[in-house]
Amino acid sequence: MDFSVREAPASTEIVLSGRMTFADHDTFRDVIATFERPAGHRVVFDLSRLDFVDSSGLGMFIIARDTAQRRNLDFALRGARDEVRRLITIAKFHTMFNIAD
Amino acid sequence: MGHARAMAAPPDTDGDTPPRPARPGAGASVYGMELGIPLGGCRVLIADDSAFNRRTLTRFLQWAGITQVAFAASAEEVMERLESFAPDLLLLDAAMPRMDGIGVCRSLRGDPRWRDLPILMQSALHSDQMRTVCFSAGATDLIAKPINPGECIARVRYHLERRSMVQELRAFHERVERDLRQARAMQLALVPETAELAALAERNRLAVESVFRASEEIGGDFWTVFAFDGSRVGVFAADLSGHGIAAAINAFRLHTLLTRTPPEEMRDPASLLRQLNGRLCEILPLGQFATAFYGVIDRTDDTLLYAAAASPSPLLMTNFGIQPLDASGPLLGAFPNSAYTNRRVPLRRGDSLFLYSDGLSEARGADGAMLGEDGLLRLAERAAAEAPDRPLPALMARHAAIHGEHLNDDVTALWITRR
Repeated sequence: MDFSVREAPASTEIVLSGRMTFADHDTFRDVIATFERPAGHRVVFDLSRLDFVDSSGLGMFIIARDTAQRRNLDFALRGARDEVRRLITIAKFHTMFNIAD
Repeated sequence: MGHARAMAAPPDTDGDTPPRPARPGAGASVYGMELGIPLGGCRVLIADDSAFNRRTLTRFLQWAGITQVAFAASAEEVMERLESFAPDLLLLDAAMPRMDGIGVCRSLRGDPRWRDLPILMQSALHSDQMRTVCFSAGATDLIAKPINPGECIARVRYHLERRSMVQELRAFHERVERDLRQARAMQLALVPETAELAALAERNRLAVESVFRASEEIGGDFWTVFAFDGSRVGVFAADLSGHGIAAAINAFRLHTLLTRTPPEEMRDPASLLRQLNGRLCEILPLGQFATAFYGVIDRTDDTLLYAAAASPSPLLMTNFGIQPLDASGPLLGAFPNSAYTNRRVPLRRGDSLFLYSDGLSEARGADGAMLGEDGLLRLAERAAAEAPDRPLPALMARHAAIHGEHLNDDVTALWITRR
């Protein structure tokens, strides 16, 4: 998995791309480091370039959500497609995550 | 004996005194005994037929902190000392009047017991040809005569340290391997044993075929089946997130929770998943969870009542064809207070239910393309048509032909038919 960060004054957009799996725990730590933002700041995961997520990847979304909640950030997922969309749908993520599509 | 005198005597070596314990002195400090790991526990066998060379080498070794030294002056003695002294390193003279060092080295390398032993050859002949002969005979390294104490100590130290690290790694590897083998046996014991499963299937007029494989030694898949209330059979399959040991430990936790659940709480799948979710939320670290399916096959009303937690879509095979079941639901153990839904579908005699973990549906072919649930559905359809009596082996064979025998994820597959 790769990621890039787009900063705006009140929001941070993190574009995840490739395959998000067990092997990406270290990369994900760098993603979480971008959550160092003031309360109320919006953080969005743009999933439109993500091809695949395994169970460890879903776990990373859960950790991101938890981190955001503890910092009072406004966290959302956006743009999931194909296999990733299918997975977050069957896991009923819309009940626990803010899905901004 | 001509080359014996070619050995350079170190500054404070008189050449005639017997080996003494290491002591602080010019040699010791100059040649850096303090560097690296302590070598006091290491044993070195010196194979040299010159008493002068043996003493000198012993002195150098003492400076490096090595006091356990034995000697051999013939090929027979080398073999005997290797057995009785079990050295960590052999200092072998390449050419001696009474011993063919090259030949000794070559024959040691032919014996599996000494294949890894560091063999340092001393040679007075410095030609590239001679060096090549030594190396091709299996020497680990060469020390040119006359022997310089600094070089000798450095090379001995290097090879002993390397050996010690390799041994440590090997011991660690062997221990972990042994532990994992044991854990694997324990994990296999979590799923129903073959004879027990056959008896349960027979009593409940089912045919049950199963595959349960971990991608590493152990993994996070788990399934079980049990009969209750006379006419019902519960089928539980779960896949703990992640791989390896952590996933396996979580599988054991889930198994424990399930076995502690009283039978009357097994009737309602959604309520069972809700309870398991609550308990798993308390014990699983953040970001770890399970996907799960729990179904109750009821022979009296010909139905399957099930609830799921984001498991791969099970396939229902009836006279009307093959149909994926909705297995959406919140991940088990991820969020407290998750709600699960009961769903009921007809399951009559002759109908089948195929459950599988994502290890099977997310397998990739040589071209990198993922099979997917649709692809797996087609494989299942074909297997059911081609081998109606034993569809699962047919499916697995076809799957292996595309994706290989070794998959990157744990695999569970259960094909249950009502007879």
